Amino acid sequence: MTVRVDATVAAMSGAAAPPRRNGELVFDAPWQGRAFGMAVGVVEQLGLEWKAFQQRLIAAIAAHPEAPYYDCWVAALEQLLLDYGAVTAEEMAAARATVRADAP
Amino acid sequence: MSEPDGDHHHPTPLSPVEARARALEELLKEKGLLPEGFIDAVVSAYENDIGPMNGARVVAHAWVDPAYKARLLADGTAAIAELGFGGPEGEHLVAVENTPAVHNVVVCTLCSCYPWPVLGLPPSWYKSPPYRARMVREPRVLLREMGLDLPENVEIRVWDSSAEIRYMVLPERPTGTEGKSEPQLAALVTRDAMIGTARLGAAPQHRFGGPLPDGSLRGPKSDRLL
Repeated sequence: MTVRVDATVAAMSGAAAPPRRNGELVFDAPWQGRAFGMAVGVVEQLGLEWKAFQQRLIAAIAAHPEAPYYDCWVAALEQLLLDYGAVTAEEMAAARATVRADAP
Repeated sequence: MSEPDGDHHHPTPLSPVEARARALEELLKEKGLLPEGFIDAVVSAYENDIGPMNGARVVAHAWVDPAYKARLLADGTAAIAELGFGGPEGEHLVAVENTPAVHNVVVCTLCSCYPWPVLGLPPSWYKSPPYRARMVREPRVLLREMGLDLPENVEIRVWDSSAEIRYMVLPERPTGTEGKSEPQLAALVTRDAMIGTARLGAAPQHRFGGPLPDGSLRGPKSDRLL
């Protein structure tokens, strides 16, 4: 599967800019990379513009400026899915419960 | 951002946010919002392919549009932004033009500053101490070792990138490309030509990962370090 890099994603600046080291995206843990991929995928699958996610990311960072970047990223993605009705709060809670139960 | 964890008796190695991310992934898969393999493809694309093609489009546009070329050479950051590319605030992109008499090459002697919004990720040799030191000390010799043998009468200008100013080379348009479209021209432009370690249609280009500038660079298979 080939994915084209979306310039609006790659060029996010200011508070929303993802952590980079000399241009390379820095993921401190694999889940951060997966969260990155999920957001790009969801925006595309829902036919939205990237700014729909970016605005929520900026809001999440503003709400919790002390939180790590990708924690805000996940919060923004959850908010986006709820706002567009792609996922309900109940489904989200159930999925979290399942993950916790399955965790070793 | 964390949520109360009611499961104190069974501590898990998953952090709360990691659990939320995993739950989202399961949910999205279930709902068909995340095709199989999509995440890996996205991560790989963004890790590897914030590509030199941005720079190639800048170069091709400058070749066909003299007014754009003038703007590019006068204010690289603004001209590159016209095409929708740019970096975080505070970084200036400067394009330097190759001519028959002048060849430009980019280095970062201090670390590995690189115009990544247009050139993508730096090749590993760009970050290597031998490249950084020798491109300043003996550019002609090093370029020859890298496959670019410039005539003695061509002046070599070495540009030292920094966190504030990042250079890219505007290569000469190859001869015999008069009939080509802008996308066709962009396809001719290589990363190495925009760094200045190669010329287009003039000299054999060293391969991806390159010959070793001083023999000390082992295992050039990986083009990404850091």
